[in-house]
Amino acid sequence: MRRAAVVTALALLACGTIAGPTAAQQTGKSVVERLRYPPLRFDAPDPEMHEVEGVRVLFLEDHTVPLVTLFARFKGGYSLFDRSYYAATTALPALLRYGGTTTLPPDSVDEALEYYALQTSFGGGGETVFTSLNTLTTHLDPGLHLWIDMLRNPVFDSAQVEVWRGREMENVRRRPDDPQRLAFTQFNRLMYGDHPVGWEMDASDLEPEDLTPERLHEVQRRILCPENLIIGITGDVSWPEMEAKLRRELRDWPPCSGTLPEYPEPRIRSKPGVFLIPRELEQSILVMAHPADVHLGDGRYFAAQIGNAILGSGGFSSRIMARIRTEEGYAYAASSIWTMPRRYQGIVGAVTRTRPENTVPALELILETMKEMSREDPTREEVGTAVDQIVNGFVFNFETMAQIISRRMFYLAQELPEDWLEQYVAGVEDVTPRSVHRVLRDNLRPDDMIILVVGDPDRIGREGLERLGPVTILDPSTLPG
Amino acid sequence: MRAEGALFLLATLLPCALPAGAVAQQQRTPGERLPVHEKVLDNGMRFLALERKGAPTVAFVVQYDVGSVQEHLGDTGTAHLLEHLLFKGTTTIGTKDVDAERVLFGRMDAAQDTLVRARARGDSARVSALAARIHALEDTARTYVVPNEMDRILTRAGAQGLNATTTNESTTYFVELPANRAELWFALEADRMSDPVFREFYTERDVVMEERRTRIDTSPGGMLYESHLAAAYTMHPYGVPVIGWMSDLQNLGRQEVAEYYRRYYGPNNAVVVVVGDLDADKAVEWAEHYFGPLPRGEEPPPVLAREPQQRGERRVDVVWDAEPALRIGWHVPEALDPDAPALSVLTSLLTGGRTSRLYHRLVIEDRSAASVYSSLGPGEKYPQLFQIDATPISPHTPAEVEAAIYEEIARLAEEGPTQRELVRVRNQVEAGNVRRLLSNLGLAFQIASSTTLTGDWRDTFRLSQRVGEVTADDVRRVASTWLTQENRTVATLRRDEPDEEPIS
Repeated sequence: MRRAAVVTALALLACGTIAGPTAAQQTGKSVVERLRYPPLRFDAPDPEMHEVEGVRVLFLEDHTVPLVTLFARFKGGYSLFDRSYYAATTALPALLRYGGTTTLPPDSVDEALEYYALQTSFGGGGETVFTSLNTLTTHLDPGLHLWIDMLRNPVFDSAQVEVWRGREMENVRRRPDDPQRLAFTQFNRLMYGDHPVGWEMDASDLEPEDLTPERLHEVQRRILCPENLIIGITGDVSWPEMEAKLRRELRDWPPCSGTLPEYPEPRIRSKPGVFLIPRELEQSILVMAHPADVHLGDGRYFAAQIGNAILGSGGFSSRIMARIRTEEGYAYAASSIWTMPRRYQGIVGAVTRTRPENTVPALELILETMKEMSREDPTREEVGTAVDQIVNGFVFNFETMAQIISRRMFYLAQELPEDWLEQYVAGVEDVTPRSVHRVLRDNLRPDDMIILVVGDPDRIGREGLERLGPVTILDPSTLPG
Repeated sequence: MRAEGALFLLATLLPCALPAGAVAQQQRTPGERLPVHEKVLDNGMRFLALERKGAPTVAFVVQYDVGSVQEHLGDTGTAHLLEHLLFKGTTTIGTKDVDAERVLFGRMDAAQDTLVRARARGDSARVSALAARIHALEDTARTYVVPNEMDRILTRAGAQGLNATTTNESTTYFVELPANRAELWFALEADRMSDPVFREFYTERDVVMEERRTRIDTSPGGMLYESHLAAAYTMHPYGVPVIGWMSDLQNLGRQEVAEYYRRYYGPNNAVVVVVGDLDADKAVEWAEHYFGPLPRGEEPPPVLAREPQQRGERRVDVVWDAEPALRIGWHVPEALDPDAPALSVLTSLLTGGRTSRLYHRLVIEDRSAASVYSSLGPGEKYPQLFQIDATPISPHTPAEVEAAIYEEIARLAEEGPTQRELVRVRNQVEAGNVRRLLSNLGLAFQIASSTTLTGDWRDTFRLSQRVGEVTADDVRRVASTWLTQENRTVATLRRDEPDEEPIS
């Protein structure tokens, strides 16, 4: 096992001297400024990489406690299928857990999980199915067997499929009840059209024929197979022992039935405009963005990350939060958003919520804040704060072995170098006010924002909104793709 | 998130959680055996430190024994607003000239007093003019402010999760830091405890009103919850929303908040807990050094309000343009009452997991509900509610779901749970206790809450032991004693449509 020694510290002096005896001298800014900190030294454990029966396995031995945690990450999700598979691919993780296996009906799976005090999770996104198992070392054999059985031999019991379908239908019915959820789903639809990011589940996706056993088995055979799988294991077991157990469980797992298509390239709306979903609400929801071309792994990525922190993702230290919340009291929460996918276009923009009468002033203030940032360098203090947070907080990336393993599984899936985290910190440390300004100047265009507001038109004021661009009224039920 | 440091607890707890039947009765629970260092400072502040090896990080929690139960109609929301204001800095942090700020505070606060009287007279023109004046004065004061300076100092130090939370009966401030910067937290927190300045007051009050609009005024679930508690409690302050009623927020002034701070924020009303990779002796030394010199505060007055016995079912409708939802609450005793462990077991029997009675009946068998939860709340110090929340699946109605809930409760009260169910619940309770302990921050919260509630950090661990000893008869008895028709309040969220059939 390779161990990398990591040291992070700005000050190298030994522990702080203590101020004088009275209360007045012992607290306050002068005391804080006099404090000096010793360097923080720790060993960051480094996982081993193996291959078992054609499956990539990351492994980190840890005998602190008699527990083993296993993660499985499969490539595959609704984004890689056409719309008619949307329900089946979305339901897959839940139905692996609830639908029973060829040897155990659903109730027996529930009982077995309880009997062995196993903790499991099953979830997924547009491109991934993710599951985990936590077990006492003494129950590793039955736990591992049951978990892999659920992944390899699911039966998708029809009663459980109906339970899932009914709850999902209700979820669809309730979507408009939460104005923020309505705003976000409609904004995705507006920006991404018929791309999977823009999809939202509709009753028409949830017909019984969308969730037949044949359909579910088809997506299972295309996603849950060795080539798509990365396993991560950490805990109280040696590699030779674990390898033998894994080999038994993974043996003769049939290969994937066909390769998955590539993720479809999004075509994101670039034409600016103001869109309003009329709702009589005590608070408007504001979302804005336009396409952006900075990618995870790019040279400009680090400056964009720091720029985003200064603009609005860095909490109270960021400008949007300072202006919108701290100075004006317009909102409880306000932040920028900047997605930087590895290979495709992302979006940059901002979100907040404010009472109807402050909708236009808040939108204008966010746009003005963006303009300032694309016009001139941020201060050294701002860049320093954003960089220090990442550098001094580096240790929080290593708080648990499970965190270390699942992060490395992500890097492997994203084809990032295994020392990406170290590269990231080094990249961030090189960011300057000038490099932040350059990436914002080239990528942030406040005049090109696509703005969506959910709120009460009478109290927001149509004229004010029109100052920001031609206003289109949207009816969520007939929104064009 | 953190796992390995506390996992030795999991290892010791789980063997007794297995359904093999052998639940060993121990003298002390594993939680009680944690090597917590405890020190009561001369000014009455209780300080607890727990050293845990692992990644070099430390979690810090300060809990004050005060929340919305200390409020009255007219000043609701004070505890929570004060929580926000304590991030605004002190006489030396967050300011360029605190004396100049204070001169402006006086003028703003005088305008606020006049504004409140103008509002009472219905003089809206005067109210608008005064609000504009306050706004302008606060803008002037802002020229002396270094905004969010405390946040920035901690952020630069690599802090994670800096935040605070106000409940009905406690207010808790928390953060995590890299272990080498632990002393920074002692210096900042002691400064905040002794010397806060409530700057940017009126702007922050607007922020809190926006928070209320997000959590309650545009949220059907939030509105149902608030209306339900207000109906279930006629006089006890558990019926008051923690965030405050909107009209109270509009009229709260800086002086009221300062008075509240003076009364309840003395070190003698605070519990401070640090958990992580920090030498416990060193932590105690820093606590004495930084917090020790602060003067003891006055003894906070007790909350003496007691909700009168409910004498008949109450029903409340919330009309909202949203899908229906249901909330039921029965008055039950406080968390330290002898019946509390059995009530806790009852929540698990009804809704804890897929095989629980209500979940299995409503969600899996009948498919009449998308979700069903139960809980004890809204606090634990005073008599609470046994609460059930359910969302029907269309076309099933809240009335149908409500009837099925009563049917299952009646069956359970009549027959009692099976031994197998009780063992399952014990496993869940134990696992739940362990999961809460899997992080430094989670453990710091539990130690702080237990100390605030009873004065002894071990008590919540002991409580979970008592949950494991609950019998089938205990469950039958508490279900039939407390979960009666005349003792319940039912709130239904519905569209403005003709009434459904009433429940008989």
